[in-house]
This record gives sequence, structure tokens and C-alpha cells, in this order.
Amino acid sequence: MTDVFAHALRRRAARLAVNALIGLFALLPILWGFLSSLKPTDKIVEFPPRLLPENPTLEHYARIFADNAAYFIANSIAVSAASVLLTLALGALAGYAIARFRFPGRDTLMVSTVAVMSIPIASLLVPTFTLLSATGLADTRLGLVLLYSAYQLPVVVWMLYGYFLSLPVEVENAARVDGCSPTRTLFKVVLPLSKPGLVAAGLFVLVFAWNDFVVAVTMTSSESARTFPVAIYFYLGFYGREWGPLLAASIVSIVPIVAIFVFLQRHFVSGLTGGGVKG
Amino acid sequence: MSAVRFSGVSKNYGPVVALAGLDLDVAEGEFLSLLGPSGSGKSTTLGLLAGLIDADGGKIEIAGRDVTALPPEKRDLAMVFQNYALYPHLTVMENIAFPLEARKPKPDAGEIRRKVEVVAQALGIGALLARYPREISGGQQQRVALGRAMVRDPKVFLLDEPLSNLDARLRIRMRRDLKALHAQLGSTIVYVTHDQSEAMTLSSRIAIFNHGRLQQVAPPAEIYDRPANAFVANFVGDREMNFLDGELGVQGGVPRFVCAGGSVALHPSAAVLDAGKLRMGVRAEAIAPGRDKGDLRGTVALAELAGPDLFLTVRLADDTEIVARADPREFAAREGESVSLAFDPARIHLFDAETGIARHHGAA
Ligand SMILES: Nc1ncnc2c1ncn2[C@@H]1O[C@H](COP(=O)(O)OP(=O)(O)O)[C@@H](O)[C@H]1O
Ligand SMILES: [Mg+2]
Repeated sequence: MTDVFAHALRRRAARLAVNALIGLFALLPILWGFLSSLKPTDKIVEFPPRLLPENPTLEHYARIFADNAAYFIANSIAVSAASVLLTLALGALAGYAIARFRFPGRDTLMVSTVAVMSIPIASLLVPTFTLLSATGLADTRLGLVLLYSAYQLPVVVWMLYGYFLSLPVEVENAARVDGCSPTRTLFKVVLPLSKPGLVAAGLFVLVFAWNDFVVAVTMTSSESARTFPVAIYFYLGFYGREWGPLLAASIVSIVPIVAIFVFLQRHFVSGLTGGGVKG
Repeated sequence: MSAVRFSGVSKNYGPVVALAGLDLDVAEGEFLSLLGPSGSGKSTTLGLLAGLIDADGGKIEIAGRDVTALPPEKRDLAMVFQNYALYPHLTVMENIAFPLEARKPKPDAGEIRRKVEVVAQALGIGALLARYPREISGGQQQRVALGRAMVRDPKVFLLDEPLSNLDARLRIRMRRDLKALHAQLGSTIVYVTHDQSEAMTLSSRIAIFNHGRLQQVAPPAEIYDRPANAFVANFVGDREMNFLDGELGVQGGVPRFVCAGGSVALHPSAAVLDAGKLRMGVRAEAIAPGRDKGDLRGTVALAELAGPDLFLTVRLADDTEIVARADPREFAAREGESVSLAFDPARIHLFDAETGIARHHGAA
């Protein structure tokens, strides 16, 4: 009896220790970066290093906003949001069609969607740049939106396809008999029941678009289409490494993503427990 | 004009014949049950009628209009699903209003609200309108599903085993409510069930299916008294039918059924039958056990008291078993006792031993 109890306790302790270690490993660099971003420039790389800043300062934050960070952040928000909306809209239609309808070319479509997913983005950079230039979309935010959506669409189609398959088909049948066309069924019944799936797929695209550096730096050159990750990179530029603004900008770029995850967490959890045909 | 007509409708799933050449007419205002064991093609029939399944061949008409190629939303039917299939993200009010919201042109909000409330009152779920499906009981969900069907005043109601998820008492109450509802609305109902007593109590006619084939369509009494074949005879009734193999004989001018364990007097009208191998089917309630005077003798292998009835499983000399029903206040026998069995000739059914097709019913 006590033996079982002790065993359970030991297991819990072990699990806690492992989780703490993983958490520490993941969060320590961020904490270090945040604390360093509050140090004056000459103290950031001092030796021996000090964890806490002696005289905290916001000068690096002031600097990046003076460098027009707000505009680049707005660009990133616009490009990311548009990419999320576009991929979800197209992904939901395609995923639903594949999940619930038999049509000529369906199998080919499914296989090619998977095949496309396995092409590395690096090998696409040059051809897509040529394509964007030819269509006048190079160095535009619209160009980035279209590329991000094209890259992420196959994954989103598969995620939503899987989610739709897991929904009870009888509820959709009920909607059809109740007078809904397939499209109305999708919008009135399937999508409202798919919030967790849509949130997961949307976050997937969001993180990719928000963090992307390689595609953006290749496809854009002017400031007008510059996204925040590219802007951050410029602090590694001409006059050596500017650690202070670099760290401050990195911290700023993390904040919206963390906020969105915290805000949407509820939807993940309710997605795991809610629903069911009967309920 | 029939409310629904199937002409040669078939559906296969690969090698599985889900429905084979169904011809069936449902009259206006009729309560027709589709009855059969699991996998016999009942849900397929309903799905084909609703447009949720595409037919491989044949024609389906609703109120005289060919709907074979129409999608479900254009058929103007209402359906209640076995697991209710309520919309989990909508309240009871919104669930019931859903078919009206989908209608073109859409009725105005006040009219929708009024119709929903009328239906909800009739079903006794008026107090639940603001709740979500997960917040109400199974029986209440059942009523919501019914309400969602009733609110549209459809051409035909389709119900697929709507009571099978309810507990026994509730099922019997809902059965009564359904029957009252049908009498009140006068609408055409096609009702799927595997429960023969449900079909017997509710239906104006019953269509019996087996292995995707329609076996017989008839009013309950006729199904019971004049089953078209041995399968139907065995499927309806609270207990399995007793079957004995044998052939026709005559003794003193009276036709008799001669089998390994002895012979049984038949109704005089059976004399017209041609000779040949026959299978006799008799229900327990048509066999009276007694001390003597019966046609066959045997030993009681099992005595079961079931409410007001005593069922005796009697083993004949050739080891076949026959179940007979007695009124325990008039006759009792213990296991191991020898009893004689008197058969009521008016309630003996004779089937072709090979095909199972009915050859003669005692009551004829
Ligand atoms: N979608 C399907 N795919 C393959 N076989 C099916 C499908 N639906 C039904 N069947 C088969 O068709 C037959 C009839 O099924 P169904 O009409 O659901 O029977 P019932 O409702 O009488 O229990 C069964 O053998 C069943 O396994
Ligand atoms: Mg079924």
C-alpha cells in the first residue's frame, strides 16, 4: 500500500524534474536575452557575465522604434494575417471536398498534396523569385502572402482533411436533409464544429509567416515590403553586431505570438473534450 | 398517388448487396415500418429515399415526382437519426429552427420563433429552448430531434431506429407518443426498426427485409397470421417460431403433418396441398401442453415462468425441441415430466422445406 504510494510519488517527482529541465532549457536563453536587452550596450558582453542588469535601460527599445520597427511589425502582421486567412479559406474548401466527396482526380489530388509538402523551400526560392518578378509581385506584401499561402496550403489541407474526417458525418447528413446545400453545410455546421482544427492549422501558418526570414529576404528589397524578421537582421549588418537592438527586437517579435497562443489555448483544450454526435 | 414509390431500386457496396431491386409503395398518411435484422438494408433504403445514398439503379418517386437524381436538400423530407445528430454548437431553439432558417425564402424571425415554440410545447421541451444538446438528457435530445423534423411540416418523415438508444420504459412511452403524433399529424412516416414489437404496435404496414431483399409488405396482423415465408414467420413474434420438418399425410380423411416425432392434425383446408417435403411452423402460443390428448409427446427440458406465461421447452422422442406456452394457473409441469402437446390447426403454417415460401396457413 505505502509502497504503491511511494512509487507514484517518485514517478511524479521524476516527471516534474524532467519537465523543469526542459522548461529551463527552452526558456533560459529567452530570459537571458530579455535581461540583456535591458542592459546598456557596453554591459551586454561584459566578462564575467552578469544575469541581472545593474542599471536597466529601455534605450534599445527606443532605438528600434526610432528605426521604424512599428511599420515593419505592421507589415508582418498584415502579411501573416492575410496568409492565415487565405490558407484557411482555401484549405477548408479543399479539405472538406477531399474528406466528404468522391470526384474524379480526388486520389491524384491527395497524393500530389503530400508530394508537394516534401519539397524543401530552399529549392523553390530561385524559381519562385523568377515567377514573382515576371508577374510584378516581387518586393510586394501581396507576393509574400501568396508564397506563404502556397507553401503552407498542403499542410493545412491535410490537417483540416483529418479534422473533418473525425467529425460525425450524421450531423452533416442532418443538415443536408434539413435543406442545406453542401456549401451551406460547410459554413453552418462543419466550420463551427471545427474551431479547434482551424485554430491549430491557423497557428501553424501564423508561426511560419511571422518567423519567416529566408523567403522574405529573398523576395523583398525595399523598406515598404520589409517584414520584421528582415528588419531585425539589419542589426547584424554594416557596423558590426548591435546586440542591444537585436535582442530588444527579438523580444518584441516574440510577444504577439505568445499572446495569441495564450489567448487561443482555451480552444485547443475545448477541442479535445467537447462535441460528440450525441451532445 | 403514393407518397413514396421505389421501383427496382438497388444498391451494392462492392460485393455486398445492400439492397436488391426494391419495389415498394408507401401510401399517403401511412405509417410504414422497415423491419429486419441488422445489416438487412433498412438504413440503406432510408438513405436512398433521403438522397444521402446514390442508387445504383431504379427509380425513387416522392409524391409522384422522380427524385432519384435530386440532392437531399431538394427532397423536402425530415429525418430523425438513430443517434439524433443534433447540432452540438446550437441551442435547442436553434436546432429546431435550423430547417426553417435554411428555407428559401427564409421565414421572418417572428414566424420561426412562433413555430419552434408550438412544436416545443407539443413535445414538452418548451423549457429547454436555451440549452445546448449536451446539457439535456437522451430522452430530451430525442424529442429535440423529433421537433426539428416536425417543425418543417414535411412531405414524409423518415425515422431510423429513433428509440433504440432509450431505456426500455422510456422507449415504450415514446412509442405511444409517436403513435399519437402520427394520428394527430396524419403525415406519412417511414420508420426503420429491428424491433418487431415496435413495428407491430406502431405501423399501418410493415415491410420486412432480409439480406437486402424485401420479404413481405403487409399490415401487422397479416404479417403475424400469414407470413410469406419461414424467415418472416420466425422474425416476428416475441419468441422464435417452432419448426418441424416432415410431409403431408392423410388419416381418416383429415390431412396430417407427419414428422419424425409423430403426426399433427392440420386444418381441413390443407388437404388441397400437393405432396412434398414441408416445414411446419407453429408459435408457442398455438401449442397447448397437457397431460394427454395431444398429438405429440415429449419430456419437459426447461420450464420458464415469464410473467403471466409458463414456457415449456419440450424434447420430443427424436430430440427436436418445441416450446409451448401454458397458463400457469391452469397447467404446470416440472422439468423431466412427460407432457403431451395439442396443436391448434388454425394456427399452423406450412412452408416449402427448400425455399421456405409459405404453402398454407391454417387460418385460411
Ligand atoms: N458505406 C458502406 N460501405 C460498405 N458497406 C455498407 C455501407 N453501408 C452499408 N453497408 C452494408 O450494406 C448492408 C446493409 O446495411 P444497412 O442498410 O445499414 O443495414 P440495416 O440498417 O438494416 O442494419 C450491410 O451488409 C452493411 O454492412
Ligand atoms: Mg441501420
